[in-house]
Amino acid sequence: MEDIFITKKQSRRHFLSRITYGAGGLILLGSYGFSIKRDSLTGNIRAIAVDFEKCTGCRTCESVCAAYNNKVMVNGELINGPGNPALSNIRVYHFNPDVDIPSTCALCDDAPCVEACPVEPHPETGRKALYRDEKLHTIVNDPERCIGCQSCAFACAQKRAGVIHPDPETGNPRFMCTLCGGDPQCVKYCPYDALKYIEMPADRNLDKLAPEKLAEIMIDKFYNFKKGEQQI
Amino acid sequence: MSTKGYFGRLLEVNLSTGKIEKTRILDSDIQNFLGGRGLGAKILYDRLKPGTDPLSPENILMFMTGPFVAYPIPSSSRTCVVTKSPRTSPVEKKYEHSSTLSYANMGGFFGPELRYAGYDGLLVTGKSDKPVYIRIEDDDVRIEDAGKFWGMKTDEFDKIFHSSLGEGRYESCYIGPAGENLVPMACIINTAARAAGRGGTGCVMGSKNLKAIAVKGSGIPEVADLKKYNELLEKIRGSFMKKDERVMDWRYGGTANALTSSSRNGTQAVKNYSEGTYSDIEKIGTEANREKIWKRDFACYSCQLACKKSGFAKGAYGVQVHDGPEYETGTMLGANLLISDLNGLHKLIYDGDDYGIDIISTGNTIGFLMEAMERGHIDAGFLDGIELSWGNVEASLELMRKMAYREGVGELACRGVKELSRLIGKGSEEYAIHVKGHELAAWNVPVNSSSWSITYATSNRGACHMNGGNSNRQDGACLRDSLGACSFASSWYRDEVHYRHILSAITGLEWTEEEFNKAGTRIFTMEKMFNYREGFRRADDTIPEKFFNNEFTYGDHKGAIVKRNEFTKNLDKYYESRGWDKTTSRPEDDTLRELNLEFTI
Repeated sequence: MEDIFITKKQSRRHFLSRITYGAGGLILLGSYGFSIKRDSLTGNIRAIAVDFEKCTGCRTCESVCAAYNNKVMVNGELINGPGNPALSNIRVYHFNPDVDIPSTCALCDDAPCVEACPVEPHPETGRKALYRDEKLHTIVNDPERCIGCQSCAFACAQKRAGVIHPDPETGNPRFMCTLCGGDPQCVKYCPYDALKYIEMPADRNLDKLAPEKLAEIMIDKFYNFKKGEQQI
Repeated sequence: MSTKGYFGRLLEVNLSTGKIEKTRILDSDIQNFLGGRGLGAKILYDRLKPGTDPLSPENILMFMTGPFVAYPIPSSSRTCVVTKSPRTSPVEKKYEHSSTLSYANMGGFFGPELRYAGYDGLLVTGKSDKPVYIRIEDDDVRIEDAGKFWGMKTDEFDKIFHSSLGEGRYESCYIGPAGENLVPMACIINTAARAAGRGGTGCVMGSKNLKAIAVKGSGIPEVADLKKYNELLEKIRGSFMKKDERVMDWRYGGTANALTSSSRNGTQAVKNYSEGTYSDIEKIGTEANREKIWKRDFACYSCQLACKKSGFAKGAYGVQVHDGPEYETGTMLGANLLISDLNGLHKLIYDGDDYGIDIISTGNTIGFLMEAMERGHIDAGFLDGIELSWGNVEASLELMRKMAYREGVGELACRGVKELSRLIGKGSEEYAIHVKGHELAAWNVPVNSSSWSITYATSNRGACHMNGGNSNRQDGACLRDSLGACSFASSWYRDEVHYRHILSAITGLEWTEEEFNKAGTRIFTMEKMFNYREGFRRADDTIPEKFFNNEFTYGDHKGAIVKRNEFTKNLDKYYESRGWDKTTSRPEDDTLRELNLEFTI
């Protein structure tokens, strides 16, 4: 993560000139949507948008995601786990100067991860080992067919936010957003209303999702360093 | 098999030998002392020989978590640093190095991560022969060279250290130049903004040549009754998410809200505690900060209050992005020094954290020297030519720098007001505002003196504003500091979501109200017995002379003063309520037996 350090970035100005906020005016100011679900009736996109100005970095989203998506069997009943953030699909990155950037799978329309999966589509379902769930638009891995090659993780890191981390033992991809069956827990429990599940246009640009890139924007927005100014 | 909710495991690192061990915690210790501050006190009492030099390799520097830490229980992320204090000394020294224990807790993410790595606490002993840091990734623990980081101030270090660790999200804590230079009032910092500030923890860390600790983990301790735990989490989250006025006040101003209210109430440390009200307080209060300094709110792990405020100051003192004024930092470097220049105050706070020096003790010490200058007890020559006058930002910045580097007069000043007043003499002891050698914090004494005088006189680390003014409050603070819970959020944990119900769900042990409260009393008394063993007696449980002789001259509480006979009476009552001997302050044998502390008799 050597490029985590904002002050060292060379391409900052260049990057800032390319960023576009609020495409279509549907996204909250200072926010950047990343989890997308296409509504089958209207054709609209429903996505989890982050208002980075509201995020305080408390990581409640991580614990509720981990608890919901890693349930535990207790007396024959499947209930939420204790909420170990290491198992969360959403992850908050902290930066100095002080900003916090939540990051999770963007469920990208063009899905570079699925594109990169070398496993042949199944003759009946047409699915590769990594495929898109038709109903929720989420990215799902079939552990039976996954060969653990990690091409998906590499593609995500190269082209998007870099959220897929292979399981250290099997190499299977982890941390794709499940949208919690349509009721994202991170949105439900965010104490600061920094996460919203809202409609937005389908043609959004998704190639600037890396946390360190978003951190640059927010640091610039909050602290507004001028070129050459140094902390002393 | 350990008590549920704990790993029952400590990580022990000896920096003299390089030995790294993972040791078991006795279940009886867990159940008697809970964790954090309590378990730390018990370990320190068990393992440390009386009279141990706090800066010797034998002293133990502990980073203790608690049973709530690592779980998403709102506002329960505290790490309690426990060690033998390099700050305190009794009236009559039983040993050359007699001192109290010290505990200082910090919020953030370090404690949770230490638990994710599989440890309820980290114990550091020994002394490395060169600067090192400890790197922990679950079971993999290494002592690494920190030569290239030595000398770095905390903000720069925070930026560079994390990039050097490579992939993954580590949490860390570290010392700055003050700790490296063995400044007694040095502290430990995390995220460049949060401090285990008090009691010289950073000095002990420096004495071990330990620059930093980095930790990353993947586990979480097992919960005994997961269903009950989930129910309680849902309820407590719900009570915060109503976002009532109390929640919104914390978010709006954090502890800085108290800057103006405390000043109005006459309870603020102003002009080295000579006054309780500051006429210019609005210039550094919440509203002024919201308008000019603060840019965003930030929170500790799973906290819904977000009392921390990231500020941005640009002006005569350059540019700083930093966690800007809280009640303590804003008072000690603001009101107490009559500094109302917000940019200057922000720079002072930034520098204090950057050096890794306890801002409370630093502000108190600078205030003492300002008063000594005003009274003509010292001159600018004593201060290497610094014209230290009330409200002088430049002079305060320079003095603080000298303290952090022990340069010139800084060599004396960094030892705090007890030592300084002894050196200066001329009656300056009267306005040296400390108890047992540890400087008072930002809450002044004369108004509500029955509470504040007991708070400061009887705190086990020397003057401590978080101590509480009676035994119930003190025991409650012990419980919070041992569970890992934050005191600011404590009022939400009532009735059906009381701490003890959450502890019961996590551990599977049924904690009755009586047993739970008794644990708090046990912890406080355990600390007291550590101090008693070191030679602290009733004569040490006092407050500075100034409070008996100085009347406020300004504000609604003009004329406020502490009456000596009332203080004596209140202290008597306090000892009675605790079952302690009024002459010696020693807990009676029956009291100790009742608390399962018979081993201290």
